[in-house]
Amino acid sequence: MLSENLTWEFPSSAEEAAGLLLRPGALLHAGGTRILKTCPKSVKLLIDTGGLGLDYINFTDNAYYIGSGVTFSEIVKYPAKGKSLPLLQSSLSGAASTPLRNRITIGGSLKDFPLWSSLYAPLIALKARVEILTDKPAIHTVEDYVSSGIIKTKHLIKHLIIDEESGLISGVKKFSILKFQYPAFTIAIALCMKGRMVEDARLVITGVRNRFMRFTKAEEMLKGKTLNELTLEEVHRHISPSFMSDYKFSASYKEKAARIIFMDLFKEIKGGMR
Amino acid sequence: MKISININSRLKELEVKPNETLLSALRNNGYTEVKCGCSEGECGACLVLLDEKPVNSCQVLAMSIRNKQVKTVKGIGTLYLPHLIQKAFVEAGADQCGFCSPGMIVASYSILKETGNRPSKEDIRRGLDGNLCRCTGYVKIIEAVGMAAEKSLQEETQKPEAVCTNM
Amino acid sequence: MYKYVNKPAEKIDGLSLVTGEEKFTDDFTYNDMLYVAILHSGYAHAKIEELDESEALKTKGVAGVLSYKNTSSILYTTAGQGYPEPSPYDTRIFNDVMRFVGDNVCAVAAESREIAEEALKKIKVRFSLRNAVLDFEKSESSGIIIHKDDNSHAKIPVYFNPSENLASKVEASVGSFERAFETAPKKLTCTFYTQYASHCAIEPHAAVTWLDSRGRLVIQSTTQVPFHVRRIVSSVCQIPISKIRVIKPRIGGGFGGKQEVLLEPVAALFTWRTKRPAKLVYSRKEVFTSARTRHQYRTVFKAGYDTDGKITALHLDALENSGAYGSHALTVLSNAGSKTLPLLNKIENLKFTGKGVYTNLPCGGAYRGYGATEAYFGLGQIVDMVCQETGEDIVEYYKKWTIKPGETSPVFQALGEGKEGVAMTIGSSSLEECITIGARESQWYEKRKLYSHSTGYNDGRYKRGIGMSVLMQGSAIAEVDMASAYMKMNDDGSFNLLTGATDLGTGSDTILSQIASEVLDIPLSQIVVTSSDTDFTPFDKGAYASSTTYLSGQAVKKCAEGIKKQILKTGAEMLNVKLDLVELKNGFVTSKVGLSRVSFEEVCRYSFYEKNQYQIQASASHVSPKSPPPFAAHFAEIEVDSMTGIIQVLNYVAAVDCGLPINTRLAEGQAEGAIINGLAYALFEDYYFSEKGRLLNDSFGKYGVMTAADIPPVKVFLVSSYEETGPFGAKSISEININGALPSIANAFYNATGKRLFSAPFTPEKVLEALEK
Repeated sequence: MLSENLTWEFPSSAEEAAGLLLRPGALLHAGGTRILKTCPKSVKLLIDTGGLGLDYINFTDNAYYIGSGVTFSEIVKYPAKGKSLPLLQSSLSGAASTPLRNRITIGGSLKDFPLWSSLYAPLIALKARVEILTDKPAIHTVEDYVSSGIIKTKHLIKHLIIDEESGLISGVKKFSILKFQYPAFTIAIALCMKGRMVEDARLVITGVRNRFMRFTKAEEMLKGKTLNELTLEEVHRHISPSFMSDYKFSASYKEKAARIIFMDLFKEIKGGMR
Repeated sequence: MKISININSRLKELEVKPNETLLSALRNNGYTEVKCGCSEGECGACLVLLDEKPVNSCQVLAMSIRNKQVKTVKGIGTLYLPHLIQKAFVEAGADQCGFCSPGMIVASYSILKETGNRPSKEDIRRGLDGNLCRCTGYVKIIEAVGMAAEKSLQEETQKPEAVCTNM
Repeated sequence: MYKYVNKPAEKIDGLSLVTGEEKFTDDFTYNDMLYVAILHSGYAHAKIEELDESEALKTKGVAGVLSYKNTSSILYTTAGQGYPEPSPYDTRIFNDVMRFVGDNVCAVAAESREIAEEALKKIKVRFSLRNAVLDFEKSESSGIIIHKDDNSHAKIPVYFNPSENLASKVEASVGSFERAFETAPKKLTCTFYTQYASHCAIEPHAAVTWLDSRGRLVIQSTTQVPFHVRRIVSSVCQIPISKIRVIKPRIGGGFGGKQEVLLEPVAALFTWRTKRPAKLVYSRKEVFTSARTRHQYRTVFKAGYDTDGKITALHLDALENSGAYGSHALTVLSNAGSKTLPLLNKIENLKFTGKGVYTNLPCGGAYRGYGATEAYFGLGQIVDMVCQETGEDIVEYYKKWTIKPGETSPVFQALGEGKEGVAMTIGSSSLEECITIGARESQWYEKRKLYSHSTGYNDGRYKRGIGMSVLMQGSAIAEVDMASAYMKMNDDGSFNLLTGATDLGTGSDTILSQIASEVLDIPLSQIVVTSSDTDFTPFDKGAYASSTTYLSGQAVKKCAEGIKKQILKTGAEMLNVKLDLVELKNGFVTSKVGLSRVSFEEVCRYSFYEKNQYQIQASASHVSPKSPPPFAAHFAEIEVDSMTGIIQVLNYVAAVDCGLPINTRLAEGQAEGAIINGLAYALFEDYYFSEKGRLLNDSFGKYGVMTAADIPPVKVFLVSSYEETGPFGAKSISEININGALPSIANAFYNATGKRLFSAPFTPEKVLEALEK
């Protein structure tokens, strides 16, 4: 349980929120689902982000800007144009449950990155970037945001930036027995095509030992080739995720299943191209 | 701390603790129609509409919803003036123990609203993906939501006539 | 033919439930109430050497601490069964030895739940750790005795030997299995495993207690067994029964999980001692770990059969993991035999042997299906194996070899609940029709053939199969269970029906009203039901053993017939005609000669105010001479992804004989709910433990419960029969349909792949393992 000795602040500007965030025991509150799940003991101050005006989705300069206060539901319902956002929508439409998607925000979900995240795989596959307002304002790729440890610092996220790529073909699959269940892993594939040729490839899995991984060898192999040039076996050989065992699935099973799901997804994408 | 929330179309001042969930604030203030099955956002018994969207009230901190609108199952319909969905649940036999029903009704209400009373069977199934029921096996719940949607559509089309005759 | 029964009547509490008007236990709050929180053991097996509650008691807002130090050491069983209970007396309100992770160390009562939980952290406990038994198959040989020198004993003359970790032992035999097995031309021996499971009633267990204006203890709780709660609380808390009132409000599902007296004694003791109201509500985690579960089982089947498929010898040996305490250890075990073996009643040589062993794991208890679920997993596959071997269609096999009306099985008498059973002849069965309807609706013949290995249909990655099984259960416990009802007439011709029967969401209040309505020929709205209040309603053993409609229903029927007699008598007197010349019709007593009639309202007014005044009232009790089995045929069609091991259920068809369904819609609902629970149990529900016996998946999210988004198409067909010992021909329906998914899916898996599943649940990894064999 959260401590009873909490104070709340309701800032109306990002600067104000940033200032408050410097106080000891301060934590940003958006939807609150992760805070109530983890109940961090050290929290003394909750800074509600509801008044910061970060609940926008804009499409400008060929990119989507998704405010950190936007909920999963709002993203799913957004009338997307183009090819990038649908990948994220497809993943988030199956995340958690309907009522939870109404509360889970992009900001909260980015900051906490639970192992079963349905958000990260598509974001990394989309080369999404995250703009941070404090304490060192900058734009990072989502991948860097996690890998370089920025995720662990105290900061306020302004929004996500997802570029629209006209040549994109993509797909995402989560692995769980039930619809409303923490998935064992999520796989996202994004291929940027130029004509029939793969110009860029991002093959991502989350839920693995190191939270996420990209199958870089397979990505390299795909680049500069048409999808018909490669046999599935060639790609398959380079899909080797590493998992931790848990009570439901052994690591070896998850590895096996992930490779199968990956190839299923790859085939689907390839089939969709024809 | 006192917060004001609009609950079931009435403005209420509730005394809440800073770490208190909306579920606890509601139940402590007599809104026991909102049920607690797990406190972990995993059963849906505590669903309420927050600004017309269904949320797990156990996963919402009360302090964060000042000046918002909350609707419990009683805000949708009461024993004395039941909503079509509630009547359909009883008619279809979607009510066994009834502990999940308040949450199910809230989710169903939202499904009808989101789909303009034209939900597909898949819309219904997916719209109920956050609500657990162990009694019914969901068969009759899905049926009930479908029945309610049909009736709502009928009412929609019949309404103008009714207004005319009244005039 | 009928006006009020065999109809899809709406639940009388339906609209109140779906508008949130009805109150459940946790919805009751009283002034000056204490909140109780329990400290649970983190060790699987440990002795409390020292418990220091002084710091907790000093905390502001703490009203008291209960532990083994200040509570009685009276032994009892938490199983809410009739007296004397067949479950061993092996527990105390607070024990000083912790026997599983989740066992009760002590409890704190405080001004708020938060204070109580904070105070728990200040309790210092010094444990001496003991070796734990975490593998039930090794319990007997472990050398660790779980109930050592603690005076645990059986209340009835049954085999009970805690020094061998035996919570129960059952043996029964008919003919000579050994001889017949030895000479059988064909033989089979197979071992099956079924797992732990949680009932997952959405309402957690709760109890609220307070003293009424005369100092009597009132208990409101989430119980399936209010009268057993009163008796057991009286015994362990040493409070006279005359000073206890138990009220069951609305209950949010039970499925057997609330047939257990767990919370009531703790809350009651706090109230009794502090004179203040007290509330104890389990968290979901506590429900998973500290409440009761489905027992884990190993069943070994040995079958000897002729070349034509006739089984001549069958031995079922069951090993049950009773967990730390032996709640329902004996009776679930006996039911594993008694609810399954009579089905194929032409087997002449039968043997049932079973043991329930103690372990340092969560306790088993009553769970819908009650032993039958566990045993049908194996039996249903054994029948399929025999058919595969002889080439006979399993549908035809079941039609030929299952028990028929007018037939009996010696097992009925050989295997009771802690004593001999009751001999019984089957009076009603539409099983053959059930099998026919199920086969037709599931397109059995076409699909079974199409999916069999020889067609090549299943040569690819996705393999389809169809499988079926046949089931039976019981309806109440013959010559043991008693139910009663009381009715009185009101001035306007309405009636109060007071019944001890416990509606835990099943709709029994509605069903019992329908029965009274039918007898008296008046609408449901004229029956005002009060149920499950030990001060006002007559005794009923409670809601378990598939008994309420069948047994309590018959009590209500008898009671209403008593009322009918009195109405007729008074009506005849008013009409001045002979008693045999009047009849009840639509709320009137009508003369069969001429046109004169008097309304119920007039009858009651007359009986209250005019002449020969008296209260029209009646009571009735009922004990059944038999436990007529409902029957069912279940058909499952599945698709196996042979690469990931995921089984998807494509279609599920169940045809069920529950006698005459009193409420057709509620009966279907019972079947559908049980089927979905059974499917989830077959496919993924399980308990996972750490190496130290701690439950790892102790939340809905980690455990995994199907939602509406997950369920496969399920079709239920009610195929009526007429059971003459039941009200209007009714039998039971609540339990039987949870038993079909395990064998039906396993048989479908064989049809799809040619491989057998011996261990439930059928998780993807186990499926792959089976495929590789």
